[in-house]
Amino acid sequence: MSRAVGLALFLGGWELASRARWLDPFLFPPPSGVGWVVYELVRSGQVWPHFRVTVTEALAGLVLGTGTGALFGLVCAGFRPLAQVVEPAMALLNAIPRVILAPVFVIWLGIGMASKVALSFLLVMVVMFFATYTGIREVDGRLVERVRTLGGGRREVVREVYVPSVTAWVASGLKVAVGFAFTGAVVGEFVASSQGLGYLLSFAQSTYNASLTLALIALVVGVILLLFWAFGSLERWWLRWKPEYRSRQAHPRALPRTVRPAEQVP
Amino acid sequence: MSALRIRGLEVRYGSHRVLGGVDLELGEGEFLGLVGPSGCGKSTLLRCVAGLVQPEAGRVEVFGNPVRGPSPEVGILFQDDALLPWRTARENVALPLRFRGASPREAREQADRWLRRVGLEGFGDHYPSELSGGMRKRVALAQVLAVRPRLLLMDEPFASVDAIVRHVLEVDFCRLVADAGTAVLLVTHDLEEAISLCDRVAVMSAGPGARIVAAYRVPFGRPRDPVAVRAESGFGPLVRAVWDTLRMEVARMGWELSA
Repeated sequence: MSRAVGLALFLGGWELASRARWLDPFLFPPPSGVGWVVYELVRSGQVWPHFRVTVTEALAGLVLGTGTGALFGLVCAGFRPLAQVVEPAMALLNAIPRVILAPVFVIWLGIGMASKVALSFLLVMVVMFFATYTGIREVDGRLVERVRTLGGGRREVVREVYVPSVTAWVASGLKVAVGFAFTGAVVGEFVASSQGLGYLLSFAQSTYNASLTLALIALVVGVILLLFWAFGSLERWWLRWKPEYRSRQAHPRALPRTVRPAEQVP
Repeated sequence: MSALRIRGLEVRYGSHRVLGGVDLELGEGEFLGLVGPSGCGKSTLLRCVAGLVQPEAGRVEVFGNPVRGPSPEVGILFQDDALLPWRTARENVALPLRFRGASPREAREQADRWLRRVGLEGFGDHYPSELSGGMRKRVALAQVLAVRPRLLLMDEPFASVDAIVRHVLEVDFCRLVADAGTAVLLVTHDLEEAISLCDRVAVMSAGPGARIVAAYRVPFGRPRDPVAVRAESGFGPLVRAVWDTLRMEVARMGWELSA
């Protein structure tokens, strides 16, 4: 609630400042103007081909990156010698701002969609690698022991302990990965491309069109927020057993007494 | 036939000799308390019986069969109620039943019956994080009893809950397990708890190379009220006798005692 008020105040203040010309409307177009540009972009249909390209790149990067990262994480967690090679490489990739590789991908893969998918893939893959790898390594040994002593074999241990505990990590990683997937696609387009939201953004910037620039940013942010919300809901449902998502707390006093102490006394 | 027979059990972790020749026997339906200084190897002994630790030497037999790994006849209750956090109370209790080939429906009905028996009717759909510590212990108890083990191993099962909940759990536990005729090996560092619940109390020596140094018969029959029995006239002297043995072992570990 207070967040909505804060946002409204911020946008309202900006609108006012821009209209009253305290801010240069050429550089700081009022939010209503930006909203109008977004509306025009969507209504005229100009933005759709670009939008489709960016979303396709991001989703391709997300799917490929998640699959590859998870697979690498899985194999590394199960095979130590490989982990000793791969983990430092991943840690290095994680430490550097991976978007600086965008120009290299353009040189290697051209200005088409492939270079953007590659960048998006790289950003996502590292995140999902660590989510899976840590997820498997952090599996609670006591739960493994518990399932074994309850009569579970190897398969039951995997199904009852490993899979749920790794999916918990992957689910949280996925939310970060969605943002990264779009970062990769848009930044890749920004560097060199002939289509996509990043391309439009680069065009808007080169023509000093602040309204269009802000409108495109709003559009990208909108899509990411939508996906965040979708993945957030999925995560909340998937991890509903977690204390931070719990909806109710059974109070000890609510305990029905069917075992009566009196029956104990001989 | 003995529920459990241990002869000359030795266990090593690397170069550290944890158990150095443990002999222990447990009759069918008997409750045996095992007390000893912390870190002496009580839990290791339990894990050997559970088939989770391979002994260096010696024999461990459960109902006449040598232990080779986790067995369906042996139930284990650890200190931490290691319930699966992503499974509801009902699903947790149903889990071992499913492992033993029960149909989903059958497992579900049995799980509900056991939840009712431990006083958790209506909490089947709750996740462990939604239950209190005492309630989680009850779920763990239902889970382990649902498959009707003939030998139950317990490692500090009632630690980490407050004293009142603990007494209530002890009382309920006694009734449930005595009904089932299960033999119990209870590892604890609380010797009053051991005496109040068990038929016999064995004292383990300080490590390394721990052994059983003494065993005491508890002069009270079962079923009994494990809280009320503490007021019986024979209780105090027995606590004293066990404590005198235990104290020497603790002293051997080099700890200061203000005796």
